[in-house]
Order: sequence, then structure tokens, then C-alpha cells
Amino acid sequence: MKNNLKEERIKKELTQVQLAEIINVSRQTIISIETNRYVPSVLLSLKIANALKIKVENLFELEKSD
Amino acid sequence: MKFLLPHQFKKIGAIIAPLGFFLWVCMQMGFVTQLLIFLFGKSLSEQRESSYHLVNVIIAILSFFSFLGGIYFIAFSKEKLEDEMVERTRLESFQVAALVQLISIIIGFLSMSIFGNPGEGGLMLFFIVLIFLFWLCFIFRFNYTLHIKIKNEK
Repeated sequence: MKNNLKEERIKKELTQVQLAEIINVSRQTIISIETNRYVPSVLLSLKIANALKIKVENLFELEKSD
Repeated sequence: MKFLLPHQFKKIGAIIAPLGFFLWVCMQMGFVTQLLIFLFGKSLSEQRESSYHLVNVIIAILSFFSFLGGIYFIAFSKEKLEDEMVERTRLESFQVAALVQLISIIIGFLSMSIFGNPGEGGLMLFFIVLIFLFWLCFIFRFNYTLHIKIKNEK
């Protein structure tokens, strides 16, 4: 699964630390999601989408291998 | 996990575990006995010799349990911010540590069947190493994944 978290975060002019603070996770978690090392749960995905004021579908994208 | 200790225990563990290990090595190398001889003289009487032995045994027990306790404190302390990724990393690290321990058990028993019985002392040492191997492997994998690997990736 791909994600556009980094692009969307930069569009909203938020740093990794700021986004992490908004959704109450560690900065490591944001880095891991952005580098596609960690796939967040539904709850966390919704929180991120909510913080960035976009739809979850615009944040995550299924790949052929999924 | 609900039974995790507060984050401060990680720092306490990071102090008492190496301290316990250092004390245990000192005791094993005979430095404690040498220090006692330096302080109270060479053990001429049987009573003094047994008291030196007792001090060594007490230090061995104290150092072993402080090392073990320190390792447990490090392994079972919360991170500054506990989130779902930390929980998953912890779970994966437990799995990796269990796998390493299982492979070590198999290799250990295979070597024993090939090279012969290592004796009671050797077997005891093997089991002690197995216990520590699990916890040290867990601590290394967990902290490496969470702090070093991610730091290098950003």
C-alpha cells in the first residue's frame, strides 16, 4: 500500500513533529508511515486524514500486490 | 500492554544492569577477594576464609539479580510515547527473540549430542546464556528498530 502522507503534510505546511503531536503518536511513527515501513491501523489512518483535512482514500492507495 | 512500567524505569535499568554485570565480572575474576585481602589481610584462619567466601556469594547473588532486574526494567518499560507502532515493534521483537532462542536451543543440543555432555556446570551455563540471550536479543532488536533504524532513514 502506497501513501501520500509526506506530500499532503508538506502541502498543509506541517512538520513531522507537529503532525505527530496533533494525532498523539511519536515522530518515529510518522517517519515509518512516510517511508512505507509501517501500515497504520484504520483508527490511526482516520486520525491522520482528519488532521490533514482530507479523505482517507486520498491518503492511501492500493497497489497491484495488495 | 497494560502491565508495562513507567518510562523512568528504563533509565534505572540502564544503570543497574551494567553495574550488576561489572560487579559479577569483578567477583568472577577474583577482584573482590583481592580487595578483601588488601583491606583485612590474608586469610589465615578458617573463619576468615569462610567470611570471604560468604561476601563473594552475597556479591554474586546481588550482581546477578541486579543485572537480571535491570534487563527486565529495560525490556518492560514504556517508551516516552506509547503508540500502536511501538506496540507492534515490541511484539515483533519478542517474536524475533523467541526465534533466536529456539535456534540456539536446537544448535546447543545438537552440539551436545555431537561433542558430548558438557557436564553439570556447562549445562547450567548454557541455560543461563539462553535466558539472557532472549532478553538481550529483544532489547537490541526493539531499540534498534525504534531508534537507530528510523533515525538513519529520515
